[in-house]
Amino acid sequence: MGKLMYSCEQASKLSSRAMEEPLGRLDRSMLRLHLMMCRGCTNFSRQIEFLHRASRKVPGAIEKDIG
Amino acid sequence: MGGDEDLAKSLESHRKYLLRYALFQLRDASLAEDAVQETFIAALAHRDSFEGRSTLRTWLSSILMHKIVDLVRSRQRGLPADALTLGNEHDAAEAAFDGKGRWIDPPADWGLPDAALESNQFWRVYQKCCQRMPERHALVFSMREVMDMSTEEICKKLEISRSNLHVILYRARLSLRSCMTKKWFSAGHG
Repeated sequence: MGKLMYSCEQASKLSSRAMEEPLGRLDRSMLRLHLMMCRGCTNFSRQIEFLHRASRKVPGAIEKDIG
Repeated sequence: MGGDEDLAKSLESHRKYLLRYALFQLRDASLAEDAVQETFIAALAHRDSFEGRSTLRTWLSSILMHKIVDLVRSRQRGLPADALTLGNEHDAAEAAFDGKGRWIDPPADWGLPDAALESNQFWRVYQKCCQRMPERHALVFSMREVMDMSTEEICKKLEISRSNLHVILYRARLSLRSCMTKKWFSAGHG
């Protein structure tokens, strides 16, 4: 008996996993549905994408001498 | 051939950068020195495999990353195999959601965060937040997000399963975004 909606915990887990590998069809559509209705998870998903972009720039930042 | 002395000299010119990099990952100055020293030794021993396809710094960084992984692994040897995911490392995920899987404190909009990448202060906060993660989580996160290693390579190197890797990266991201929210985006910067 599947639930109609994934919880925020399930959805955020999928947003994270999607950064490593393509999701299956069901997960992908459930995630999209959840994100359409949930501001918090949409923000989460954008934030981890930003952190991904930021992390790629760590070597450049180290060069400029951080910390 | 005369090349060795030149190579040794070029290696020296990258020492400061590599030390900072190692310190960022290892959080311990003498371990960082060790890692860089071993990197130089390995670089000299395998100089033939450096073919100028990447820059010298990129090549050295990747050797260094492997040394760092080895150091973290040997430092943590003796911990149970599943120490990567068990223990207080549950906290980040469990503190974020209630019993029904709803956000306790739903993530708020960070606006247009990319401007922050130009700020040195932002990077200090980023580094502090990475250091709040359990060491091995921070390492896995760096291997994936900073070094851009494939998931297969990380699993093999650390002898962890794919699902284990997903759990660690998820918790690392939860922890980092929560810390960055508190220390940067809602601290009047974003």
